[in-house]
Amino acid sequence: MLLLAAAVAPLAAQSMRARLAGRVPAAAVAPVDSIVRVAEVDGLPTDPLVRKALEGGAKQASPDQIVAAVAQVASELREARALLLRGGGGGPVPPAEVMAVSAALVRGLPVPLVQRLVAVLPGEPTGPALHAVADMVGHGFAQDSAVGLVVEAVGQGLRGLRLLDVATSAVHELQRGRTHALALAEVRRRLPDVPTPPTPPPAAVTRARRPVADTTQP
Amino acid sequence: MSLIDPRIHQVLDGELSRQSLPSELRPALERLEAAAGVLRSAMARRSVAAWVLAEIRRPRPGPMARLARWLIERHAITVSLRPTWSFAVAVLVAAVVLVPSHGTEGPILSAQEGIAQFVGRFPGARSVEVVGSFTDWRSGAIPLQDDDHDGVWQTEVVLPAGEHEYMFVVDGERWVADPLAGRYVDDGFGRQNAIIIVRPGDR
Repeated sequence: MLLLAAAVAPLAAQSMRARLAGRVPAAAVAPVDSIVRVAEVDGLPTDPLVRKALEGGAKQASPDQIVAAVAQVASELREARALLLRGGGGGPVPPAEVMAVSAALVRGLPVPLVQRLVAVLPGEPTGPALHAVADMVGHGFAQDSAVGLVVEAVGQGLRGLRLLDVATSAVHELQRGRTHALALAEVRRRLPDVPTPPTPPPAAVTRARRPVADTTQP
Repeated sequence: MSLIDPRIHQVLDGELSRQSLPSELRPALERLEAAAGVLRSAMARRSVAAWVLAEIRRPRPGPMARLARWLIERHAITVSLRPTWSFAVAVLVAAVVLVPSHGTEGPILSAQEGIAQFVGRFPGARSVEVVGSFTDWRSGAIPLQDDDHDGVWQTEVVLPAGEHEYMFVVDGERWVADPLAGRYVDDGFGRQNAIIIVRPGDR
């Protein structure tokens, strides 16, 4: 197993360098490579790090800015993984969960609140629940109230993207002129019946295309 | 009413001698005799009966030759129409040609794909595209369209289900956060990325 890992690691590094080549300033490639290698050893997902470097290159950021941004993402992923390890009883931590928790922390949710949601959904994807709370907080709902509503929805059997519908319903109640408290009460009263978002109209489906593969760029 | 002098008739019928005909009528007699000679020689060359028999005996041309001849020759075609029916047929043809069909076209989505709609108002922009984590931040993959030139640019695109960060790029150089996204995150480069969550099978 160790031999296999030793054989695969250089290939992965080569692949990463190939992704960065020509799209990220040359001065940033080695530092980014170093951050990625350390992250890999720490068990962190590395794709968000490479993507952040590519994003910096696309946005014409300086090498220093790119390295700083990649280091910041690595730090956020490390914090998210530590949080999940503390709350998960030492079990394996899926990369997708690390990224979901990291995104929630970046969106401004405090650690205790994230821990509460993770504890409510043991072994299940937490991303939608975390985004649901962040969406509500972003619309002025109190953090504790938002978490309380989502936890109650989980208790009523809602999972995954249906938890996002809970947040959407609460925001719609606000848009109808209700206060935050009344909006929460109204959604809580209807649980678990919250409307699903409308599907795209047939004309939009007909027009939909897959992204064009650009072969002119490296 | 005959315009030929009766005495010429009599000469032609042999009732009078040519010498008894007045001299002023003789040129007319000679013209008539010449014409009769021409007719006699033509009839002598080929009789009507012989011509009809020749036509009957001539080999019938093949189907392709007849088709080619039919296509080349001019034909008079008479079409009789009732105006009501003609109008109904015209409406039917126009409906089939002009009305687009919905529901049966569009991409086939896998269980892990959905449709994302991007809309932005950029009056005066020459080009708008969406660039994000789903394109590895590569430009040129997802252009938006403003077909009616009202400044509202939009596109629909098939993306992997899940969470994606993105920005609009206007005129190839100006990075703009989607004002309608509702979810944002600092990008680490002094701007904010919008976040879209694509639902699987969203169609």
